[in-house]
Amino acid sequence: MRNERDMTTNSAFRTPHSALEVSFTLNGTPTTVSVPDSERLLDTLRYRLGLTGAKEGCAEGECGACTVWLDGLPANSCLVPIYQVRGRRVNTVEALDPAAVAPLLDAGATQCGACTPGVVMTALWILQHPDVLATHTVRELMAGNLCRCTGYDGIVDGIEAARP
Amino acid sequence: MINDGSDRVAVLERALDVSGWREKRRAHAAFNAARAPVRRGLGLATFYHGGGFTGGGEVYLKSRLQVAGLPDGRIEVRSANIEMGQGTLTVFTQIAADRLGLAPDAVVIAEADTARVPNSGPTVASRTTMVVGRLVERACDDLRRRLGLSESARGDAVRAALRDWHRAHPDQSLVGEAVYEQPPGINWDDATYRGDAYGAFAWAAYVAEVEVDLRTCAVRVTDFVAVQEIGKVINETLARGQVQGGVVQGIGWALMEECKWQDGAMVNNQLTNYIIPTSDDVPPIRVAFLETPYPHGAQGAKGLGELPIDGPAPAILNAIAEATGADPRTIPLTPERLMTIAEFGMRNAE
Repeated sequence: MRNERDMTTNSAFRTPHSALEVSFTLNGTPTTVSVPDSERLLDTLRYRLGLTGAKEGCAEGECGACTVWLDGLPANSCLVPIYQVRGRRVNTVEALDPAAVAPLLDAGATQCGACTPGVVMTALWILQHPDVLATHTVRELMAGNLCRCTGYDGIVDGIEAARP
Repeated sequence: MINDGSDRVAVLERALDVSGWREKRRAHAAFNAARAPVRRGLGLATFYHGGGFTGGGEVYLKSRLQVAGLPDGRIEVRSANIEMGQGTLTVFTQIAADRLGLAPDAVVIAEADTARVPNSGPTVASRTTMVVGRLVERACDDLRRRLGLSESARGDAVRAALRDWHRAHPDQSLVGEAVYEQPPGINWDDATYRGDAYGAFAWAAYVAEVEVDLRTCAVRVTDFVAVQEIGKVINETLARGQVQGGVVQGIGWALMEECKWQDGAMVNNQLTNYIIPTSDDVPPIRVAFLETPYPHGAQGAKGLGELPIDGPAPAILNAIAEATGADPRTIPLTPERLMTIAEFGMRNAE
């Protein structure tokens, strides 16, 4: 998947920075992009590859709306320079099985939806690694994903309902 | 004079019951008697919030709403009210489907494009379900009248009548409409600014339990019970979500969220220094509803959206007062603020 189109008016994309060639595995598919060396993973996903599920909430690693999995671990893609992704595995919300989020929907885990793509990436990571619940509560593990609408009960209840 | 038939004493008693008020008060007194650095307290707030615009607001708005009958037997609700996560699409679908006895997937909610939908007023003021939802019901009734059906016609009868009408009137549109009318018995005088400020009020009693660390003046909310009477609860999951979200915003407002201004601008306009609660900062919000149907709201509903933000701060400050002996009067009651009044167990805040 090579995409040379300039998909934004953001000056960061028009400035002829030195271009980097970065290859990584995106949702299981080998991917190579040619990008300015200062680009963030979030920008590459959203503006070059058209994967707009990850959201830019705060752009400083506080809110978690941009959460993706990097080598299988949740990470704030707004804080990851694209060159650090070289040779690594990136999974985004677009690759999730929609059926996996059904318990979250039933519990009222989403309202406005701005936090939801990041919330489900962390929530499903917890559900795929239930051993972490032996040492951490769901509320501790979800604390990196801010939500202003639900008060978190719907999110926590949805994860608890989906636990194996 | 408020006489809406709601049982406010029942709201209060339910809150005391669900929160275990009496037992917890005794337990906290025993716990605090040890004079440990951590103190516990329980606080109560009773409050109410009007649904819809104040005074003559709804009369001036003259909100209009349409329900169109489609040739395939479905209906389309045309309203200007916006889905922003609070559940308008779901609740309007429920209201329209119930009114005409249709399945939910036979109800289409039109995109709120003002080129296509009438002005049903803004999506504010705890009015969408109560006031605009009532217009959905009345527009459904009007559609049924235009089809020549009796008031009791539902389901198959409505679907068949829609198809028949469109066969008889090809390429024409069939639209039921409703315009807001002041409910009987609700009176407001704009000249004297007296009368019924709102058609109906939601009533609530919230109980907060806190732990205060006297060394750091950090406050943790350890339990929260939110009991409210909101008329008919149309969708329990959505209504509970409104309450839980509002309460957690209220906890943030009470304890941590502070806009700092400099030269007319907010200087802490980032999530790094404008702190909002995370999932780990708040307890489960325990929600209970009492229902006294309001005859002029959709299915008996009253307004809910704004209510839950009103109660948490007073409940939490009352709990801190009980835990520390201080008399806090300012929010957000950050540790820095609490320290100035709690240090000597002072009674006078600021």
